[in-house]
Amino acid sequence: MAGPSPHKPRRKVKKTSNGSEVSSVAPATASRTGSSRPAYPLAAFLWPARSSVSQWEILPMILMAVGLFRWAAGLWGYSGFQNPPMHGDYEAQRHWMEITTQLPISQWYFHDLEWWGLDYPPLTAYHSWVLGKVGGFIDPSWFALLTSRGLEDPILKVFMRATVIVSEYLVYIPAAVIFVRRLTKLQGISSWNASIALTAILMQPGTILIDHVHFQYNTVMLGLVLASMSSVLAGRFMWSCIFFVLALGFKQMALYYAPAMFAYLLGVCLFPRINIPRFLGIAVVTVAAFALLLLPLVLGALYDAHRGIDARPDLHGRFAPLPIFSEYSYLINFKAWYYPIVQQLAQMIHRVFPFARGLFEDKVANFWCALNVVIKLRKYPSELLQRASLLATLVAITPPCFVIFVKPRKELLPVALSATAWAFFLFSFQVHEKSVLLPLMPMTVLLAGKHGLSKNVRAWVGFANLLGVWTMFPLLERVDLRIPYIILSLLWAYLLGLPPTALAVYSQDGQPTWVGFATTTIHSIFYLAMAAWHVAEGFLSPPQSKPDLWVVINVGIGAVGFGICYLWCLWSLVMESGIVDISKAERKKVKAQGVSIGRDISN
Amino acid sequence: MADLYPSIAQCAIVATAFKVLLFPAYKSTDFEVHRNWLAITNSLPIQEWYFEKTSEWTLDYPPFFAYFEWFLSQFAKAMDPAMLRVYNLEYESWQTVYFQRASVIATELVLVYALHLFVQSAPPAFKRPSHAAALSILLSPGLLIIDHIHFQYNGFMYGLLILSLVLARDKSARLASGLLFAALLCFKHIYLYLAPAYFVYLLRAYCLGHKSIFQVRFGNAVKLGTGIIAIFGAAFGPFAFWGQIPQLLSRLFPFSRGLCHAYWAPNIWAIYSFTDRLLIFIAPRLNLPVNEEALTSVTRGLVGDTSFAVLPEVTARTTFALTLLFQIIPLLKLFFDPTWETFIGSVTLCGYASFLFGWHVHEKAILLVIIPFSLIALKDRRYLGAFRPLAVAGHVSLFPLLFTAAEFPIKTVYTIFWLVGFLLAFDRLAPASNKPRVFLLDRFSTLYIAVSIPLIVYCSLLHGVIWGSRLEFLPLMFMSSYSAVGVVGSWVGFLVVFFTS
Repeated sequence: MAGPSPHKPRRKVKKTSNGSEVSSVAPATASRTGSSRPAYPLAAFLWPARSSVSQWEILPMILMAVGLFRWAAGLWGYSGFQNPPMHGDYEAQRHWMEITTQLPISQWYFHDLEWWGLDYPPLTAYHSWVLGKVGGFIDPSWFALLTSRGLEDPILKVFMRATVIVSEYLVYIPAAVIFVRRLTKLQGISSWNASIALTAILMQPGTILIDHVHFQYNTVMLGLVLASMSSVLAGRFMWSCIFFVLALGFKQMALYYAPAMFAYLLGVCLFPRINIPRFLGIAVVTVAAFALLLLPLVLGALYDAHRGIDARPDLHGRFAPLPIFSEYSYLINFKAWYYPIVQQLAQMIHRVFPFARGLFEDKVANFWCALNVVIKLRKYPSELLQRASLLATLVAITPPCFVIFVKPRKELLPVALSATAWAFFLFSFQVHEKSVLLPLMPMTVLLAGKHGLSKNVRAWVGFANLLGVWTMFPLLERVDLRIPYIILSLLWAYLLGLPPTALAVYSQDGQPTWVGFATTTIHSIFYLAMAAWHVAEGFLSPPQSKPDLWVVINVGIGAVGFGICYLWCLWSLVMESGIVDISKAERKKVKAQGVSIGRDISN
Repeated sequence: MADLYPSIAQCAIVATAFKVLLFPAYKSTDFEVHRNWLAITNSLPIQEWYFEKTSEWTLDYPPFFAYFEWFLSQFAKAMDPAMLRVYNLEYESWQTVYFQRASVIATELVLVYALHLFVQSAPPAFKRPSHAAALSILLSPGLLIIDHIHFQYNGFMYGLLILSLVLARDKSARLASGLLFAALLCFKHIYLYLAPAYFVYLLRAYCLGHKSIFQVRFGNAVKLGTGIIAIFGAAFGPFAFWGQIPQLLSRLFPFSRGLCHAYWAPNIWAIYSFTDRLLIFIAPRLNLPVNEEALTSVTRGLVGDTSFAVLPEVTARTTFALTLLFQIIPLLKLFFDPTWETFIGSVTLCGYASFLFGWHVHEKAILLVIIPFSLIALKDRRYLGAFRPLAVAGHVSLFPLLFTAAEFPIKTVYTIFWLVGFLLAFDRLAPASNKPRVFLLDRFSTLYIAVSIPLIVYCSLLHGVIWGSRLEFLPLMFMSSYSAVGVVGSWVGFLVVFFTS
């Protein structure tokens, strides 16, 4: 639709596309070769908006388009659909709406724990309460106590899908829009490139598949973290703390980010000079936010105790030891006024952090599960395994946290968060395959950063995302979601010009570099392995003695690939932070890359 | 000049991804209709195709479409042979759904190719507007709602139509254009409504001389005549041989149906019915006679027995006379000015006339107007002014086709997405006209578009909240009357533009 028109559009792109690093040579070549053609389909789709189209025209279009894909994907089945007796994540979320709206608040964390007992932090419970109230207004039978279990009303499905979309459009999407705008402004990137990055971030296949198809509310937690990152960009550290506490309060998985976030916030209080008021502000606001988060639960417990409603009616007024610190339970008088609070908080913490479970539950593409293929870990005591896991995680998170602590620059935060989250995903215990969304989120927003749309960053972000959804394939396949998986992953790969739809991201313009060559080699090996795995999984049945063969191979490849992603994030963080003096040769390389990036971005 | 982005192929790929995601969406009885036709053509001898009536959805398309279904059924066999059994009513295994949905997407490639050719054949100055128009057709919410959710093969059919219209642009391909249109008529006879424009255009531009209408080019006339006879022979010949033509025609033209379809298509008769409804309340004061029997029937708008309480009845003959009259008027201009633009304009006006005045018009037939009009909507701003209300009204009028909750966001958001995107793009691309703008037409269209928002909100949300399930006909009547005003308005506007340019 666009192109050489009677009135030639002003090319803002050249001036701002690439920050300061583009040498004056690059734009000249770019305007001759590069900008006559979009380098990948997503750029082509936004091509007509290149000239003077206002943000207020293009943004609603992007939000409508990504919303349509979300809703259409939601027409497919959800986890646990027609799969009694326990159903799946969908039933868990629905059940929480049931118990929060039907039971007094003090019973939420105690009610029939065998049937999807509430095991998320309080904000999820409040969120469920709001949604349950709204849904109960439409049709009370959806959330009737006990009788609604495993309900598969098609209208209920529409309602549940709508709640995911609405929650996302209230949290994740505004956060992403603001984050992208702030980051691109900070880095001097044109608004056209910002729109491309935003669309790419919002079309990320993993979040759509897990939240809108398989069913969960991860985007609320991810959105709160993104809002926290966005507040950091704006220099509002206290707001950043509030959002981060809310993220933790929605889903404990946000802890994956906590060390890096903590290191950064501590860093800004100490460097370049010690800033005590800032430190105190952050500390006070964090504590206050936690207190506010727990307040409804605490007040509810007191009020219910006052009304004579027992949190555990099944005990008939008898005393049960606390679920955590059971050996000290005798120290507490269970008739004291504060006992309901202690009981409530202890139960909540016990539910949210299930320390008692094993190192890993299902097959997940992390270090332990992959190691288990080689050495049978079950023969070691779980105590030892937990220690090993803790130690390994600490070792892996220390370098990124150290770098971000010493160099607390806001543009480094996404990659530091990503590296830390990769470390947790790979080495901590009780990891779920869906948790891969955590490291992917900050890594994907790198698309909006400096050189974000360059071939190199696109190749890596694309690699991590495609590998991520690929490791979730067994999970999706179990509920017959092959087609949305194929469509959404291939669509995203196509839009960003990534394998298997295009190989152009790996063609190096200018001088070939070793880094570029290594990237190409590693990615080729993995993409070929992934393709071969799909063929094998689709057409060959595994040998009788090893029924899990395909899943195990998937886990092995995934774990190695994610390890490489961790190293790439760490490497980028170290390079960008300038903490290590880059040798002359390296600098040359980076410069060469910069030039190639320059050509690329101005497309 | 190669700078047309996003390209047609890129849009087709992304649109295909979206359409595949829509596989599990709601599908109307048309899905079962086409499954039944697959079964009939695959499992029965050809002589029985037009007699078979196990299912109520008997074969009522012309023979080429039946051959097409037979062709598809050869692939269906490999997917799931159970869908090819005539007695297997309402059969919808996932293989059946995937196969039928995929066949709609695959046959739509004809449309993609036709649009590609349309942009290729456009003169250089019109490449960009043509490209935008082509994308607007490819991504049309009408085709998405009717084909990929409701279920039909319009993408394929309109692909053939556009191919034929584009071929007509090239002097050396006019014969091919005419023959292709003849073939299209043997696929789906609804295109008979456009036939008068083809007849006049081919007569004037192909069979008669450039300078004088008295100089007949016999060679061309013979080529065209034999070609058309051969095509109709291939379609209807076998059935004529078996003496089945009366049976076939009774299937193709079921005259027993009523004036208005179940949902009123937004045409003159919808306004007529709406006026009649209003008159019921006013008539006693004006001392007009009220037909008591009609009071119950029109409210539900049911097929077959639409009757009017106050206004005179409308006969099929009246509708045909009116249709023909309003088709002949633009054709006179075409006869004296046989250019391609006038031809497309005449095709559009033939579509308008048949949609607005036809007997038992289905709201899906609005594509008969929108799609040819899209090809010339960007000629200049005056054309665009007439196109705009049609784009809004035509697509909004399709909303009642999908009434399930899950599809509501898709039909509304997609249509708004399309309207915002393309109307903004068109606004930028349409060149200024060298003639003064039509009196107040653009003001009318702005006001008209603004009204659509509260109307949709009322009809889809507020009405249910206020009235519950009572007065169900009210939102439908509002929607079709509103859309009818838009379609009629754009028709009047376009008539003015057509005759003054």
